[in-house]
Amino acid sequence: MTRISPGQEKKDRVGSVLVVGAGIGGMQAALDLAGSGLMVHLINDEPSIGGTMSRLDKTFPTGDCAMCMISPRMVESSRHPNIKMHTLAKIVKVTGEEGNFTATILEKARYVDADRCTGCAACEGECPSKVPNIFNQGLDKRKAIYALFPQAVPNTRAIDSAHCLFLTKGVCRKCEKICDANAINFDDTDKEYDLKVGSIILTPGAKTYDPDIRHELGYGRLKNVVTSLQFERLLSASGPCSGTLERPSDGRHPKRLAWVQCVGSRNAHNANPWCSSVCCMYAAKQSIIAKEHDPEVDATVYYMELRAFGKDFDKYIDKAKNDSGVRYVRAMISEIIEDPETKNLLIHSVDEEGRLIHEEYDMVILSVGFEPRPDAQEFAGIFGIETDTYGFAKTSKLEPVATSRPGIYVAGIYQGPKDIPETVIQASGSAAKAMELLSESRGSEIEEVVLVDERDITGEEPRIGVIVCHCGVNIAGTVDVKRVAEAAATQPGVTHTETIIYACAPDGQQKIRDLIKEKGLNRVVVASCTPRTHAPLFQDTIREVGLNRFLFELADIREQCSWCHMADKEKATTKAIQIVNMNVAKTRLLDPVTSKSVGVTHAALVIGGGIAGMTASLSLAEQGYGVHLVEREASLGGLLKNVRHTLDGDDVQAFLAETRTRVEQSDKITVHLGTTIENTEGFVGNFQTMLTDATHFEHGAILLASGGTEYVPDQYGYGQSGNIMTQRELEAWLAVNQPSARDRFVMIQCVGSREEPANYCSRICCQDALKNSIAIKQRMPDAQVVVLYRDLRAYGMKEEYYKKARDLGVLFFLYTPDRKPEIVPEGDGFKVRFDGKIMGREMEVDADYLILSTGLRPQDDAQKLSQTYKLTRNNDGYFMEAHVKLRPVDFASEGMFLAGLAHAPKNLEETISQSLAAAGRVGALLSRDSLTVSGIIAKHNRDICMSCLACFRACPFGSPFIDEDGRVSHNEVKCAGCGICAGVCPAKAFQVNCFRDDQILAMIDSVTTPYQSQE
Amino acid sequence: MIPDGEKIHEQQSPEKPQETPAGWQANIIAFACHYCAFAAADLAGVMRLSYSPNSKVVRLPCTGKLDHIYVLRAFERGIDGVFVAG
Repeated sequence: MTRISPGQEKKDRVGSVLVVGAGIGGMQAALDLAGSGLMVHLINDEPSIGGTMSRLDKTFPTGDCAMCMISPRMVESSRHPNIKMHTLAKIVKVTGEEGNFTATILEKARYVDADRCTGCAACEGECPSKVPNIFNQGLDKRKAIYALFPQAVPNTRAIDSAHCLFLTKGVCRKCEKICDANAINFDDTDKEYDLKVGSIILTPGAKTYDPDIRHELGYGRLKNVVTSLQFERLLSASGPCSGTLERPSDGRHPKRLAWVQCVGSRNAHNANPWCSSVCCMYAAKQSIIAKEHDPEVDATVYYMELRAFGKDFDKYIDKAKNDSGVRYVRAMISEIIEDPETKNLLIHSVDEEGRLIHEEYDMVILSVGFEPRPDAQEFAGIFGIETDTYGFAKTSKLEPVATSRPGIYVAGIYQGPKDIPETVIQASGSAAKAMELLSESRGSEIEEVVLVDERDITGEEPRIGVIVCHCGVNIAGTVDVKRVAEAAATQPGVTHTETIIYACAPDGQQKIRDLIKEKGLNRVVVASCTPRTHAPLFQDTIREVGLNRFLFELADIREQCSWCHMADKEKATTKAIQIVNMNVAKTRLLDPVTSKSVGVTHAALVIGGGIAGMTASLSLAEQGYGVHLVEREASLGGLLKNVRHTLDGDDVQAFLAETRTRVEQSDKITVHLGTTIENTEGFVGNFQTMLTDATHFEHGAILLASGGTEYVPDQYGYGQSGNIMTQRELEAWLAVNQPSARDRFVMIQCVGSREEPANYCSRICCQDALKNSIAIKQRMPDAQVVVLYRDLRAYGMKEEYYKKARDLGVLFFLYTPDRKPEIVPEGDGFKVRFDGKIMGREMEVDADYLILSTGLRPQDDAQKLSQTYKLTRNNDGYFMEAHVKLRPVDFASEGMFLAGLAHAPKNLEETISQSLAAAGRVGALLSRDSLTVSGIIAKHNRDICMSCLACFRACPFGSPFIDEDGRVSHNEVKCAGCGICAGVCPAKAFQVNCFRDDQILAMIDSVTTPYQSQE
Repeated sequence: MIPDGEKIHEQQSPEKPQETPAGWQANIIAFACHYCAFAAADLAGVMRLSYSPNSKVVRLPCTGKLDHIYVLRAFERGIDGVFVAG
């Protein structure tokens, strides 16, 4: 093989990425990559994408419905031209190397033709074979032909070959008979094929611990003991009891609920040694929601330690305790006993005074943790990657999304237990690594669609075609579609009506295209299902024959009519007529919408030269974009300059030095030291920034990585003695001093954290205490180390270090904030008094060194930056992301992103992940040559605007601005089309495309017409 | 605070209260946010939940788009109830 230049090698890489697993992590990675011009193959072993998050009822802290958040992502993933979904599929072999992998896919037979199936579910009604519903955690039954859940994507049914009567016994075929779309294909076979990809991202997710192993808790034996995931389904409106919360034994609404924490976690004996990181928070969420369902619910959480370590987590626990009255009991539960009469459950616990307490509950929820999937080892073998002892993908703290095999990256729970936002962060981070690898191959595997020119309809009278869909029997079985079409034909502007068996099927689409051409239609109304999923499909269809996409309306007469009014066909038909007529009335007034586009400057401004800013800058440079890295201090490095080792022992200073050198040597990164932002103007894709040293430059995106500061304590006598140190100072001390066998160290946790004025967990201090106490004990086993803590927050795999510290003889004692440790100086040392809760009496220990575990604070200039860029901060002063769960590195303002301590306290590994994620999000934006403005935006009529500033104040996106004339103008690039401006504008100078006032009023007039005529 | 002795009389409506005829059902127009309430109405259908057919949904990009004039026009045109959901 001839050696080619490195640049050439990069060009030869395949511009597509394989994403294995289509939960929220897989979808995030796929959407980021697809948006950056790479082709994505998204593989999922279930018949629908969605993963664990699709099974959740709600998410904290907002209480948003999980499905409402994930559903648009699923639809977007399925409709993105650069994403190809492969469901019921798994990878069986991977060969090749980074840049050029060949992956062999085994796609199981679905027995339902995706091109024909309309998702009507008529087959499910006919199928006689009932199967436990895995999606609902076995709480109810589904059929052998099924959709995983009502909002499944793709919405194609699948036949479960293990339970289908025809496929197992050769009889039945009832689904085939009922399916008018001829979508059932019993001749379908498993398919195996190869895909060429440049990189692979693994997001297979995890499974939850099976609590059957802990027999004493009664799961599987006692009906009213359920897992937390089952409880999510019981709460869910689309779950087995339609969200009314019934207990399994008798369907009664349970009033007394108990959660048992750490089931399957933090227990090396018959479960898993790690902390699953999410159970404390979901138990709080579930108890709050249960209380919302029924105010009479009494909720009790039995816990070992409250690990509310994330951003605003403690506040949420406080909400559970104070607003919802959830009772938290610190106790390990050894047994759950059932009353055979009532099926109620008895729990015994020991209270703080050592008394045995018996309490009765209607239902008990086991907070089960995460563990690797049972096939984790085999899975790792297929991809040729290393795992840790437990089967999680092996990564380093300094490269948290890179597996042991170059070109293969990992995100989500397969890398270790974590919650939704951290999964999303790692997904975007792994996407960034793939974008770096394949930067020269962007666009090589995707197809540009060339469309015919749009027909100019200026001056034409409306010629509306109304197509009413039977949807098999789904609509036509309840609604008289012929009458709907006839009624529509009487409406002004309607020149053609037609009924179609399946409008969305390929032949139905062709029919619509033909009608537009034959009948000279210039506007189209399809009366069928919901516009949320199907409007884009029909819009594409009419665009293919030259009609503007926005000359279309979808009248929802299935989800919002036939499916809800099956009992009264006459009234359902009347309602369908009204729905269609009001959409016709709107359509008559529709105008073509042309989407503008603006150019993009392919460079980013990164604010902050700490490890977050440097990591992101390096990734962006590797992706091929220019970076302006602005650091207020005279040198790069930020807070990391004071850290020597990670908890895992990585050499942080060597890593920092190497990173700094790479930044300084990169020809794409311009470092601006000792200067800050003077001002920034412009909008997404087109910003101009002036620095205080008068440098100015243009850039397309802004990444805020301005960091945080370490808290300097003013309590426990800090500063009065050299023997009172912070953990960071102890780390420096240990670098030059050897502890002696007589040395006694007492560490106090939560100094200045979790109490006013900084009432939040700083997340890193428990890890720092473990790191330093282990270091002391390993170097001098006879030295005494005592840790006084409130909750030892050794989440995830850090639990191992907590255990290691205890095994090494570090002593841990609990204290509560109402009774803080007292320090009495004595000679060179101290006496430390505290309330020894476990001993039941006051304790006193001697200390030579008092170590204060101090936390983090927001950066001093956070306030100024928030004003400069109009960015909101939370009550603690940390910047607010656009969405806590699904947009953890985006700001609500377009083109602006966030990483590192500016967002919230976090450790080095988490900072690196988040910085890569931000680099991925920035990269996807900068990869575009132009940004097309969405069609559904507010249009501003400057001629009638009075510049009253109502819009200026109300707009969440900052799109109205004051122009050079001192009047309000509108930046359409920033507009999200919500129309709040139009709602508040007294002059009605704002009108939203396709939702103009005249169009909405026409709908109101239409829908109220029959009632007036009746009078 | 209301001063002692002063009583507030509820204003009498000029219209006489009408008997509701048996079987009468209110005509409702719902203004629903595309992203949440409209999706919820769809989910009701997917789950085959049944409700009165005398309600029609007008889809808005956000309930922030709701204009007073929509509500007034709906009542002026004889609708019995307006439901804003988002």
